[in-house]
Amino acid sequence: MRQPTAQWAQGPLIPVISVLVALLLGALFVLLSGNDPIAAYVALVRGAFGSPYDVTETLVTAIPLTLAGLSVAVAFRTGLFNIGAQGQLLVGALAAGAVGARFGDLPAILLLPMTVAAGVLAGAGYGAIAGWLKATRGVNEVITTIMLNYTVVFVMHWLLQNGPMTARNAFGTPASARIGDGAILPIIIPNELVPLSRLHAGLLLAIVAVVVFWFLLWRTSLGYELRAVGLGPRAAAQAGIDPARRMVLVMAIAGGFAGLAGMIQVSGVFHRVFDGFSAGFGFDAIAVALLGKNSPIGITLAAILFGAFQRGGTIMQSDANISSHLVEIVEAIVLFVIAAETIVRALAKRRGTPAEAL
Amino acid sequence: MTIEMLLGAGVLAAMLRLATPILFAALGGVITERSGVTNIALEGCMLMGAFFAIFAADRTHSLGLAVAAGVLAGVFLAALHALASVTFRADQIVTGMALNILALGLTSYLNFEVYGLTGTPADLPTIPVLPIPGLSGLPLVGDVLGRQSALVWLAIVVTVLLQLYLFRTIPGLRLRAVGEHPRAADTVGINVYATRYLAVLASGGLAALGGVYLSMAVAGSFTDNMTGGRGFIGLAAMIFGRWTPIGALVASLIFGYGDALSVTLQGTSIGDVRIPVQLLSTIPYVLTIFAVAGFVGRSRMPAADGQPYESEGH
Repeated sequence: MRQPTAQWAQGPLIPVISVLVALLLGALFVLLSGNDPIAAYVALVRGAFGSPYDVTETLVTAIPLTLAGLSVAVAFRTGLFNIGAQGQLLVGALAAGAVGARFGDLPAILLLPMTVAAGVLAGAGYGAIAGWLKATRGVNEVITTIMLNYTVVFVMHWLLQNGPMTARNAFGTPASARIGDGAILPIIIPNELVPLSRLHAGLLLAIVAVVVFWFLLWRTSLGYELRAVGLGPRAAAQAGIDPARRMVLVMAIAGGFAGLAGMIQVSGVFHRVFDGFSAGFGFDAIAVALLGKNSPIGITLAAILFGAFQRGGTIMQSDANISSHLVEIVEAIVLFVIAAETIVRALAKRRGTPAEAL
Repeated sequence: MTIEMLLGAGVLAAMLRLATPILFAALGGVITERSGVTNIALEGCMLMGAFFAIFAADRTHSLGLAVAAGVLAGVFLAALHALASVTFRADQIVTGMALNILALGLTSYLNFEVYGLTGTPADLPTIPVLPIPGLSGLPLVGDVLGRQSALVWLAIVVTVLLQLYLFRTIPGLRLRAVGEHPRAADTVGINVYATRYLAVLASGGLAALGGVYLSMAVAGSFTDNMTGGRGFIGLAAMIFGRWTPIGALVASLIFGYGDALSVTLQGTSIGDVRIPVQLLSTIPYVLTIFAVAGFVGRSRMPAADGQPYESEGH
């Protein structure tokens, strides 16, 4: 199905080029707006990696980005576009917040697995809706997942503002009750090593999820079938794989990864759900998956890069007084260049380098 | 809860006000998707329109230039989408997402750099109310229609014109042909690329008008991400309205009515139960899912919607 492409356009080259182009255009933009791009990027890098604490903060952001990236990528591998990671993440967070608070008295050995299960299952169920509608009614999953993203936002407003999850003592931002101690993912960096670090055991869950993603897709027959459907649904159907049934399953798996991301934000970082809870990780995840070429290592590296952008951007705004929204501009250009990969391909073809199937 | 809250002039006037930005985005969606290009960057186009109209109003204090700047900013973003998706056949969903993020980043960045934490100035020109002669004096009708912005009327006029254009003129037929079967359209001599470019640019301008309405007629200022997903509700209205301008108008009014209710019913209860007004805001999305799934009539998208076209001459 893919077009033939020159050898040099394969592998990590396009992602690296797209990041470099985005950083260069971002610098140009900073310059045009009357600021010093070097100062901006120095502040950004220092903010992301300048001290052990900064590194752990970058990782804290990279964890949900990795998981949401896996969510988008597993769907991509099956030829589906999951724009719904954001909604699935929020549903997972709400379920984890509800279970973590409702059974708050239970010990961690019971409560933590329950909270993980709540987040994963809720996300999976929400993702499966889009898969089911695609399989049974032929509905484009892009439309359903966009609509489901917004639906959960307003359900969440209700739950947290004057619904069953609203905490009586929540002043200011509407929020749910604090989860029990048993539902909290512990900090894994000793205070003596990195004081006040927020790096939590969700890091381990994220690593497990990356391995599960790899194992599922490349070491199981189910994964083989999913990738076959992604590469060519018709050929896969010829080989006896039912694409429709796989769609429900893959969207549930995608939702499960995103739901886990939401659960980790509740159990590891905030210990409750509040309005405006997610910084759009589910949307950044699309860039993470594409930049990482839907591979386990690629997604992990892309998530760390975007985590560094976000953490560094905050520091850049406070230290160099340059709006942290620069990071969004850079991110958008990365995504745009990757999407317009055909430009690079077209250039490669013109150079007359030997073509080879991707 | 009273009948006044559900059907009073206040609610109906608010319905029209709240429907207008959704309608502009939906009309943009109709024209681009009818030509075969998906544009989920309508949200971004709206945001560009909202910011650059305020920015131009601040610099020039001219209402005309402000509206023009807003529309041009939306057209500019749409041009990037057309370049990537029509010329380079990039994935339209990915470029659309990229442009939404770009618009959010760009407008928030400039808002911070230009206006800092103080916000946009308060003394900007705003889009005037346009009383329709004869209407304003009528009872009830006057209360609903008498004090609506000029852009509300423009949105309704554009709806009618676009409906006539798409379904009653030859160029409109050609545009739909390009969206249904580009190869056949190409064979009979219709320029698929040019048609799609123009449709995408028009969608950016229309969506931007929705943003201009929000910042210049409703708020009189710009705040970060002030469109808050209305571009996506516009997309929903387009789908729920079955890819027609009149359908989009009806859908926008329904969605706008839901929004208006969620404001007036705030804090009211039936018996002892507080009405969960936030759930009213889910109506556009849930209805749209039901519509595309065929549970309430079937919405069908143009056959070649979202598929890049490559002319065989290449």
